[in-house]
Amino acid sequence: MIHTLHLSLHKVEGAVIRALGLIERRGFSVTAMHARTDDAAQQMELTIQFQSAGRSPEVLARQIEKLFDVRHVSLVKESGVALKESFAC
Amino acid sequence: MSRRGAELLVQALEREGVEHVFGYPGGAIMPVYDALLNSRLKHILTRHEQGAALAADAYARVTGRPGVCMATSGPGATNLVTGIANAYMDSVPLVAITGQVPTPVMGTDAFQEVDVFGITMPIVKHSFLVRRVEDIARTVALAFHIATDGRPGPVLIDLPKDVANTETDVPPVIELRRHQRHQPDPAQLAIARELVAAAERPVLYGGGGIPIAGAVDAFRVYAATSGIPVVTTLKGLGSVPTRDAGFLGMLGMHGNRAANRAVQECDLLICVGARFDDRATGKLSGFAPKAKVIHMDADASEIGKLRHADAGLHGDLLSSLAALPAQLSIQPWRAWCAERKVEHAWRYDAPGEFIYVPDMLRRISAAAPDLLFACDVGQHQMWVAQHCHFQRPEQHLTSAGLGTMGYGIPAGIGACLARPNARVLTVTGDGSIMMNIQELATLRRYGIPLKILLVDNASLGMVRQWQELFHAERYSEVDLSDNPDFVEVARSFGIPAFRITRRDEVEGAIATLLGSEGPMLAHVCIDPRSNVWPLVPPGQTNDVMMEERFA
Repeated sequence: MIHTLHLSLHKVEGAVIRALGLIERRGFSVTAMHARTDDAAQQMELTIQFQSAGRSPEVLARQIEKLFDVRHVSLVKESGVALKESFAC
Repeated sequence: MSRRGAELLVQALEREGVEHVFGYPGGAIMPVYDALLNSRLKHILTRHEQGAALAADAYARVTGRPGVCMATSGPGATNLVTGIANAYMDSVPLVAITGQVPTPVMGTDAFQEVDVFGITMPIVKHSFLVRRVEDIARTVALAFHIATDGRPGPVLIDLPKDVANTETDVPPVIELRRHQRHQPDPAQLAIARELVAAAERPVLYGGGGIPIAGAVDAFRVYAATSGIPVVTTLKGLGSVPTRDAGFLGMLGMHGNRAANRAVQECDLLICVGARFDDRATGKLSGFAPKAKVIHMDADASEIGKLRHADAGLHGDLLSSLAALPAQLSIQPWRAWCAERKVEHAWRYDAPGEFIYVPDMLRRISAAAPDLLFACDVGQHQMWVAQHCHFQRPEQHLTSAGLGTMGYGIPAGIGACLARPNARVLTVTGDGSIMMNIQELATLRRYGIPLKILLVDNASLGMVRQWQELFHAERYSEVDLSDNPDFVEVARSFGIPAFRITRRDEVEGAIATLLGSEGPMLAHVCIDPRSNVWPLVPPGQTNDVMMEERFA
């Protein structure tokens, strides 16, 4: 099943690789990705489509949420409904 | 006042309250070592960077404060990697500082250049590559904050040499606001209370998150007042005193059968700071099959990761434990568990002439109840977990998640420095000791009074045991009968040492080892065919425990 994550990251060295690496290490494969930088906000917006072989995308979202550079995570079902949304403090 | 980056770094470490730094100098980190000469920080020179990282790991476990290690770029940095991974797997606050080649040559394959920022990304809680001297003080403050906030872990600071040498007027002081502890969701707490009140056969399943959260006393109070039987993971040992009547033992692959049976029979499993690790659960689908689950953890991503939680209590363990009902009617269940504990109590009447290590460890633990154990990895590690007694979790230092052979001596060094008045014993094997044997020189250099119990079965015992049991006795590369003379090796480092081979020598050996003033190594030769029992075979549920064949 394909899932979609929207991420906002602090635009700092390693932030994108850290997030993508985590997704693959946790057993998910990235199938599509779009990235956009907002230099004024020192922020990067990522939309990542990924598939899993049975592991929970909600747990993955919580694992990504822990990354220090992550400002915001939302997990979207194929239907477009946000499954989980969180903002870093 | 103008300062160099390296001075800012050292002053920032002092400001964080660091007393000891474990490390090894080299080219790219020379500015930092120069700054150390004007610092009150006590640097401990290990003889390999892995030893520095593992000593810092143990130092952190004992003090509860971040351990600090440092190394130069390239091989110095890569030698830290195992120690960083060890801290990551066991949620230990560690700040690792690496020198890096100067920024103008980064990315050019310069001498001793390696991308340690990239290499360590999967095994750190966070990492920084500091490209501006102005960022040093803030980076150090953030590193300590991240290492300790919530679920602890290692943080890497990679500092290029030119940044360390640059002068700046930026003040070295950065204040960071500490995060509040996350409070558990009231709705989930209400569900948890109902589950506890309705349970007839509850079990408390405690893990390493209990000491990390500073919740040992709260856990003990709840266990005592509720009367719920307790099992723990390897890292959770000591969360209740292991001689407590309600403590059933460690669960899992080499756990006590009473602990595993209770978990398999329970109707409510209250997981406190544990993570359903495969060594604890065995075949996950058959773990605690009759139980509903309450899962308390500081890390939200652990809840529901491997086992569905009927109530997930993310946040402060103290709050969660205090909110659970303690007046329970579970006397029949407690009696059943007490009977299983008697039924499956360890036996020490092993036949044969060889020294029986479980019995020796039991005697050591009885002779010195305050002893702090620093274990290596292998069969002896499981024997310590099974047969020694712990009043507190920090009495038992062990590489649980990563299983790092070579942990024992560096961990013992870290523990001795963290608690100078404590008696510390490293229990190691003939395989493990060879992985960081050079740290005997560190013992000698600093006069660290670490005692070492070397259990020698002339083989890689745990691997040999699995080859015996699960590979039709096809022994592959486990024979270590060509080991050096460990007594002579220890003496060559200036460490007194002696050897025993018979059971009637055990009592005297314990007295000699524990009664000595400085460091000492006892070389204990045992039966090469010794195995650890019981054992849940890989892929099986915890109902299936193989027992010792002579029993």
